[in-house]
Amino acid sequence: MTPAGTSIRLDIAERELRNGLRIIAICNPGVPTFAATLSLRANRLDEGAGEHGLAYLVGACLEESTRHRTSVELAEAVEGLGASLDTHSSGGTVQCPAEEASRSLRLLREAVFEPAFVLREVRRVQQEIVAEIEDDDADPRALARRRFHREVYGRHPYARPSYATAEQILAYRPQDLKRFHQRLFAPREGVLAVAGPLPVDDGLELATRAFRSLRGEPPARREVPPPAHLDAPRDVHLPLRREQVHVYAGHVGVRRTDPDYIPLLVMDHVLGSGPGFTSRIARRLRDELGLCYTVYASITSSAGLEPGTFTAYIGTSKEHRAAAIEGFVAEMRRLRAEPPTEAELRDVHDYLTGSYVLGLERNASLVNYAIHVARFGLGLDYLECYPDLVRAVTRDDVRRVAEAHLAPEQMVVVSAGAG
Amino acid sequence: MTPSAVHEFALDNGFRSLLVRREGLPIVAAALFYTVGSRDERTGESGVSHFLEHMMFKGTTRYAKGEIDLITTRLGGSNNAYTDHDTTAYHFSLASDRWQVALDIEASRMRDCLFDDAEFAAEKSVVLEELAMGQDDPWRCLWETTEALAFRVHPYHRPIIGYRGDLERLTPDDMRAYYRRHYGPNRAYLVVVGDVDIADTERRIASTFAEFTPVPERDAPLPEPARAGELRGAIRAPGSIARIAMAAPVGRMGERDDFVLDIVSVVLGSGRSSRLHRRLVLDEELATSISTSNEPRLDPGLFWIMAELRPGADPERAELILREELDKLREDGVTAEERKRAIMQLRSGFLFEGETALGEAMRIGQFETGAVGGRRRLDDVLRLYDEIGRRELRGAIERWLAPDSWTVVWSLPEGQRALRPRPLPKPRPARAKAGRGHGTVRVAGRRGVSR
Repeated sequence: MTPAGTSIRLDIAERELRNGLRIIAICNPGVPTFAATLSLRANRLDEGAGEHGLAYLVGACLEESTRHRTSVELAEAVEGLGASLDTHSSGGTVQCPAEEASRSLRLLREAVFEPAFVLREVRRVQQEIVAEIEDDDADPRALARRRFHREVYGRHPYARPSYATAEQILAYRPQDLKRFHQRLFAPREGVLAVAGPLPVDDGLELATRAFRSLRGEPPARREVPPPAHLDAPRDVHLPLRREQVHVYAGHVGVRRTDPDYIPLLVMDHVLGSGPGFTSRIARRLRDELGLCYTVYASITSSAGLEPGTFTAYIGTSKEHRAAAIEGFVAEMRRLRAEPPTEAELRDVHDYLTGSYVLGLERNASLVNYAIHVARFGLGLDYLECYPDLVRAVTRDDVRRVAEAHLAPEQMVVVSAGAG
Repeated sequence: MTPSAVHEFALDNGFRSLLVRREGLPIVAAALFYTVGSRDERTGESGVSHFLEHMMFKGTTRYAKGEIDLITTRLGGSNNAYTDHDTTAYHFSLASDRWQVALDIEASRMRDCLFDDAEFAAEKSVVLEELAMGQDDPWRCLWETTEALAFRVHPYHRPIIGYRGDLERLTPDDMRAYYRRHYGPNRAYLVVVGDVDIADTERRIASTFAEFTPVPERDAPLPEPARAGELRGAIRAPGSIARIAMAAPVGRMGERDDFVLDIVSVVLGSGRSSRLHRRLVLDEELATSISTSNEPRLDPGLFWIMAELRPGADPERAELILREELDKLREDGVTAEERKRAIMQLRSGFLFEGETALGEAMRIGQFETGAVGGRRRLDDVLRLYDEIGRRELRGAIERWLAPDSWTVVWSLPEGQRALRPRPLPKPRPARAKAGRGHGTVRVAGRRGVSR
């Protein structure tokens, strides 16, 4: 949203510590708040045979006791600073008032790198995850999404839910968690991003002081064969007594590093993820036909280091299920036959090159941006290049990537709920 | 934010604006609040406020259906709207060199919405799908059932989204009449926050909205009568998880006790160090999550406690422990450490709400339209938290969270046996206030329905 869609230059800097941790600092002048996100190399692809769900369990246990404090003492320390701490299988995020940045960073480090994995706490967290699994079992949207991933990803690890199964989760003992954590939670190849009112040099220094004494190197990343495309469509319905049916339709997508990513981002906004109800699918299925409250389609939103999915979703009444799926297929085909009009393309260019600054107000968004550009090798000046990259996408580019990456004839359709 | 940071002015027709110049990114947030929500709906017209909010995107004499979204998209901005019990709000975030288009759009929506028959029918289907989506959400069912029990006379009794029968019967003419009755300059507050020139903005607002004719002022709804004793209910939900909602009537948004109860809410159920989390989740291992919320309302609102149990956990035992913790809080009060920690969290939450121009605009608008003292009360928030001591906390707990003040609703898994009737609660302590029915408020806890 810069005037005339010009680029924005962030006050951003980076350094790499001797232990291999990359630190990125962004200055967000004048704000009274601070955020930091630590993203380690570790993730669920590092789970070996017999370790399914272990990354998720370890991530969920990082807010429990550390070597220095009990779980409650850690919570009191975090909340006493007015901070919040969220952890996951690749690290965590802390947000706090700016004056508590230093202490909050130390708590983030302690939580992520020095967990105690106390037996009673591990047992409790395991039960909480089982409750989450059972909750999802009764939630048609979660159920459909889980099955959709199973069908689309086939033999790829993403076919499994990150929390695995109740049986698998309950089987782990604290020493399993300790071993996994010791093997994978290392600073090398990790990224720590901080954002707040501090000048970038001060931000780098603060982060350096909190994390420089760490040591360790994760094992080489396991190469996973990419998921295969289906050669025939599949349609699965999981009946549950509900008011609505939740439909996921799609197939294997792309990596964030795919050279077609930016044209696909433009395609997404034409097809199914434009703001309001400006995209073709939302306009047709919600605005014109009134089939639903929620509908979208996207291939880029799930693109990561591994291929994501092309996913079209709708929550609708059972009598509209067939019409909704037909609508998805028709709009996907139409995009291949009829590329966006000049007007459609211009609208998407204007939106994407104008609106990204709205995502830069919050420190939490700024650190997400920094982690994103670091993980995918986009360069710290990516925001400056971004408007030109988007504006370079032509109608032909959109048609070409729609033909190359959309497969309406080979979609997996999974629904759960009424019907 | 200091009081002088908000520039306030009113037009002769009653249209009021609150303008805040904010340095930083070249962004402007503009939010128009109407003092109309489900609170203003009469019997048989439930859901019309929210449905009307949808129709405001479906065509005016100046903007065709979908054009408002398209214009926003072309300008690289975002827009949305929501309806809650007390207000309906429309908001834009746009670049500072083009945000003024929001004024033209809102002016057209204030008077010239079309309510085309075909668009009305299509959007009714969308709203009915939204209703169906809510009926599949166990938490939404639980909240709505609890509110329906806790408010018997006041229109907070009704769900914001409305009843299916009322929505199905609603016609474009009914909606047009509702629109004429409630949408006018004297029922609107415009909040603009961002990189704006105050004098120029004031001129533009005056030239855009000065000619509008006022509509009738808002009626006061029937007050909720005092009640004696606890109310209970139970609903069934698929799956294996039991959930509880407990709600106690409290004061109005912006009253001093509103801020006192914010602190109580954090001590009781916000964060992993809170009393209920420690007892129910960590120590007894009965619940997987717990939360409390001091919910903002224009009229007397509710203080909420909500918990989700582990599969197979005993609901009776969980409720007994919740009651024990409330008794302990009433008898022993809040410790100095707890008070200090809660205030840190509330101060921090206040800072985070103001991180974006839109967040600041929404907070100003919500206080102006809902709080005793209006948006000026925002200037007191941090000072009030600091000056509220342990004695005052204890007094508020006694006044508002007495054992028999609660409406308790369980959502139980299908097939699980119903709870045994509870023994009658102990008599209310002599110092407890007899009458009920003044609401409380917290912006972060606001519950609404978005477009």
